[in-house]
Amino acid sequence: MSLPLSAIVMLVFGCVVLYGGLAYFIYRALKKR
Amino acid sequence: MAAIGSAVGLGNVWRFPFVCYDNGGGAFLIPYFVALFTAGIPLMILEFSVGHWARSSPPNAFKKINKKWEWAGWWTVLMPFIVAIYYIVIMSWCFSYMIYSLDLRWGETADSFFKAFLGDTGSPLVFGGISIPVILGLIAIWFVVFFILYKGVERIGKVVALTVPLPTILLIILTIRGLTLPGALDGVSYYLTPNFSKLLDANVWLAAYAQVFFSLSLAQGIMITYASFLKKKSDLTNNAFIISLADAGTSFLAGFTVFSVVGYLAMNQGISIENLGTQIAGPNLTFITYPTAISLLPFAAAFFGFIFFIALLTFGIDSAFSMIEPISCSLNEKWKISKAKATGVMCIIGFLFSLMFSAGNGLHLLEIVDHFVANFGLVMIGLVECLVLGWMYTLSKLREHTNQTSDIKIGRWWEFLIKFVVPAVLFTLLVVSIVQNITNPYMGYPWWLIVVVGVTPLVTVFALSFILMKIKSEEEAAA
Repeated sequence: MSLPLSAIVMLVFGCVVLYGGLAYFIYRALKKR
Repeated sequence: MAAIGSAVGLGNVWRFPFVCYDNGGGAFLIPYFVALFTAGIPLMILEFSVGHWARSSPPNAFKKINKKWEWAGWWTVLMPFIVAIYYIVIMSWCFSYMIYSLDLRWGETADSFFKAFLGDTGSPLVFGGISIPVILGLIAIWFVVFFILYKGVERIGKVVALTVPLPTILLIILTIRGLTLPGALDGVSYYLTPNFSKLLDANVWLAAYAQVFFSLSLAQGIMITYASFLKKKSDLTNNAFIISLADAGTSFLAGFTVFSVVGYLAMNQGISIENLGTQIAGPNLTFITYPTAISLLPFAAAFFGFIFFIALLTFGIDSAFSMIEPISCSLNEKWKISKAKATGVMCIIGFLFSLMFSAGNGLHLLEIVDHFVANFGLVMIGLVECLVLGWMYTLSKLREHTNQTSDIKIGRWWEFLIKFVVPAVLFTLLVVSIVQNITNPYMGYPWWLIVVVGVTPLVTVFALSFILMKIKSEEEAAA
């Protein structure tokens, strides 16, 4: 069984917004130090 | 780090996957993200701003805004103490299960094992016997909470350096293991595939706002207290974003951990995931469904069982002590009671109240208290917080204070969200909950039981916040 396209879209969306966003703000915090 | 530890707790691992599943799977992520950015993060910035500006505990912070609002500060620190009383009971169960996982003591009958472990009578009205393992777990967890807190923030810093990254690493290990199991993809597909028709259901949006609100430890005085410890030049906005996204990211990850195993379990039992639906709610998921799946693992079952429960314990411990910290800080600030003494007294009181959940009706009492504290107590505090800070105080001053220390400047949109959007959402949540509870009494229990177990703690805490405001400190009495 493979993931439906809509599930893949949600997966990418979640990863980009949450983990991408988290990495960006941690990067900003580290850069400020 | 401590604030991340506080926000990320047991609710991320078992509550988020279930709420997500129940509200359209992948489709739930859309209102969830909207709620995160329109209510969660703005309120997080607000609490950070107040704590950092006042540099004191919540009662004193509200008092600085206006003397007559001090009670609201006491209200915000008393409510998480009530939460801690039953939260630590769940941690006590995790503690016992961590030990049981070493020899997979629940065997193939996790359902009956859990009932026997609690001495469950099946009704809140039948007291039953006392569960000794639960009491021993309570003693252990309350002692650990006291030990972490009594020396103040220095020790908290050392503890969270371990208890924030460790469970996250363990959760990643469990997720990898889960995703490599046969049938895991069915579970993930179930978790992520959106059912867009659910987006038209108002209850889904309410569930998303509620999940964000409770998961981030908002309206509990915790973020105000932690922000008061931050350095003067700390970037408030950046910190608020990091905590909120770390919390939501953990919930998202936990969805994979849980649903991969649920898919495996369904495949093993030869039934569809839909038929497991009622089994993946709250305590059932953690103490019945997951242990059952662990027993079925082809190898190293005890190892994965152990790391699952130790991950839960370490996720929970930061949240647990962060619920006690605001009240002990507030007692210390107002009446100069030493931190060790204030923490000790609160831990003893908390332990004694926790004992009421150690009997055979404990699980049912816990569900009633949790339902009312989560759906009414915290929502009411959040609403009051927005109304006091948004309407009784010049919100633009707090915005200016935040912008002075932050690289990312917040605009007037933030004031709009705090003044209008968040209160409107919380008010709607409250009204809907009240109507639902009046038309359908919780779990069909008699009204007198709901009033005694569910409403009384809320009313007591509300009254107590006024009493604590009225009792004068030595400085006030001398003035």
